[in-house]
Amino acid sequence: MSLETPVLLKRIPTAPWGDPADRKLVAYDDYVAADGYAAYEKAAGMEPGEIINEVKAAELRGRGGAGFPAGVKWGFLPELDDKPRYLAINADESEPATFKDQLVINTDPHSIIEGILICMMACQLDTAYFYIRGEYHHHRETFEAAIVEAYDKKILGENARCGKINNRWPNLYLHRGAGAYICGEETGLLESLEGKRGWPRIKPPFPAVAGAFGRPTIINNVETLANVPFIMLYGADTWKQNGKGRPEGAPPQVPASFGTKLLGISGPVKRPGVYEEDLGVKLTDVIDRLGGGPRDGTRIKAYFHGGISMGVISQEEAEAGVELDFDIGKKWNNLGLGTACITVVPEHVSMVAMARNCARFYSHESCGQCTHCREGTKWLYKMLTRVEAGDGTTKDLDMLLELSASMGSMPGNNICGLSDGANWAIRTIINKFWDEFEAVVSKQKMVSLAVVGA
Amino acid sequence: MAWLTKNSAAPIERRDEPYLSESFKADFEAKYAHRYPTRRAMALPILHAIQHEYNWLPPQALEEAAAFLEIEPTDLLDTATFYEEYFIQPRGKHTVWVCQSVSCEVMDEAAITEAIEDELGIEPHQTTDDGKVTFMKVECIGACGGAPCALFNETLHENLTPETVVQELRKLD
Ligand SMILES: Cc1cc2nc3c(=O)[nH]c(=O)nc-3n(C[C@H](O)[C@H](O)[C@H](O)COP(=O)(O)O)c2cc1C
Ligand code: SF4
Ligand code: FES
Repeated sequence: MSLETPVLLKRIPTAPWGDPADRKLVAYDDYVAADGYAAYEKAAGMEPGEIINEVKAAELRGRGGAGFPAGVKWGFLPELDDKPRYLAINADESEPATFKDQLVINTDPHSIIEGILICMMACQLDTAYFYIRGEYHHHRETFEAAIVEAYDKKILGENARCGKINNRWPNLYLHRGAGAYICGEETGLLESLEGKRGWPRIKPPFPAVAGAFGRPTIINNVETLANVPFIMLYGADTWKQNGKGRPEGAPPQVPASFGTKLLGISGPVKRPGVYEEDLGVKLTDVIDRLGGGPRDGTRIKAYFHGGISMGVISQEEAEAGVELDFDIGKKWNNLGLGTACITVVPEHVSMVAMARNCARFYSHESCGQCTHCREGTKWLYKMLTRVEAGDGTTKDLDMLLELSASMGSMPGNNICGLSDGANWAIRTIINKFWDEFEAVVSKQKMVSLAVVGA
Repeated sequence: MAWLTKNSAAPIERRDEPYLSESFKADFEAKYAHRYPTRRAMALPILHAIQHEYNWLPPQALEEAAAFLEIEPTDLLDTATFYEEYFIQPRGKHTVWVCQSVSCEVMDEAAITEAIEDELGIEPHQTTDDGKVTFMKVECIGACGGAPCALFNETLHENLTPETVVQELRKLD
């Protein structure tokens, strides 16, 4: 199975359809020449409810990590009153190993702007904020320039061709972050937008009811919205021809994986980069066919398949047939598909070092509100540093597992998903690569400790 | 270091000339005020603007910005200290940000860091004595396909080697 024609990378040369060396900015005129803004015009002639129904019918699931169905989220909004309503576009992209949205932002920004406007029409949101991480400097300039073009061409702003939305002319503003992973969490993002520290909020209330500035707000990832113009233009059924449906006879509650997905490949492969494939593609296929396989002399040991927060997949699991779809978590003992950006871990890199790297990330990026997360991640990092240095004991390994398993919004003692990420990353690395951990701890104190503990 | 408070207890050095000139404020107001329903929402943009101008966030400038946003200076400081990109202490003329997350670590970021340390004679999160370069190690900068990578100020450098990173450092003036 391989994708015949790209949906999201239609105008961005990518193998096997094009050569990345030919990539250049798709400006407004180029965009329009390639079907651009036709979906915008079409949506402008539709009722908001019709647009939402189409997106619901497509079963478009969020591409930011959690995989929540976009159409369902859009349906959570309350009835209109006469005050503003907001859209926040999540372009924070700070999950380690994740670099998929940046390609579209930097190369085909109008495809995102079109998706944004269709979402605004569907949900009756008059103002949109594009929250982009602070480190995307070139991307920020490109996107700002595209926004200016969109105002000039009356896609946005006063006398916009789509007319008023929620009784106001639609506006889109770029809002620059300043280097904090937690601002990718949707309510941390809203706090940051409001000019505060990016402390995630306790939910409920959910942002659809009380979000930015206390008003109804929809938050979607860049890639999620970039899918919307295609769905509008060609219909949900055509869009659903890509990807993977639910198994034969499965009830609608079973998550389907329709559509394509942007995939990032990094680490020691021959052709790292961003690719597009059907959801449901085999992990080994992605690495070999798209990534060109491991670099000469390298053997692969493991993968972070969705950013680090989803945990790891071993090479044995990959060879046993791991597929990148929304069911990956249940099937292969990890947290989920995540961002579908894959880091290849070669044989010579220690998994203890990888765990230490992840723990350092979480301890550094924890926002500090919840005790378990703030202290727990710090503690994980300290212990793993010690274990890596060869000063760990077997007891440390048990404690690492116990500690990481106790953290998270799913165990229920933390506000947001950062701690779940720490939980799954550390726990799956240790469990799936137990031997490596045992080898470094057993060297020194294990024997004497066994005596002490006896 | 999102939740560690950066040292903010230094005495405030004051100068007569305001950091935020009338024309700066007027331009900023025209560009940003209509975008948000509250003035506080201009916090991140104004901090970026001040840092763009002065390369860091002088305490007096923060006070002036807080007055401009009609919030308490402590509230603005609270925001500023949360974000890694804001410097509430002076930094070097150039800032080099090296990614240390997983994709870069597996592509031997350690060799890049070592080369920088040797070339500059400083450790991460320090500034060279001549005030030229501040060296930061940070988490994923979203360019993992080109690991190991670093930002030199606002310019991205990918697929670095110890040799190329030193060459780039020597180009900084
Ligand atoms: C700690 C944390 C960090 C996150 N970072 C991002 C991010 O950088 N980009 C993103 O799109 N979603 C991120 N998310 C997911 C968002 O909270 C949210 O689910 C998503 O933006 C919703 O958009 P979607 O439904 O279109 O995927 C993060 C979540 C958590 C818990
Ligand atoms: S779980 Fe961690 S990152 Fe999330 S709100 Fe709590 S302390 Fe902050
Ligand atoms: S891991 Fe280094 S840029 Fe993403």
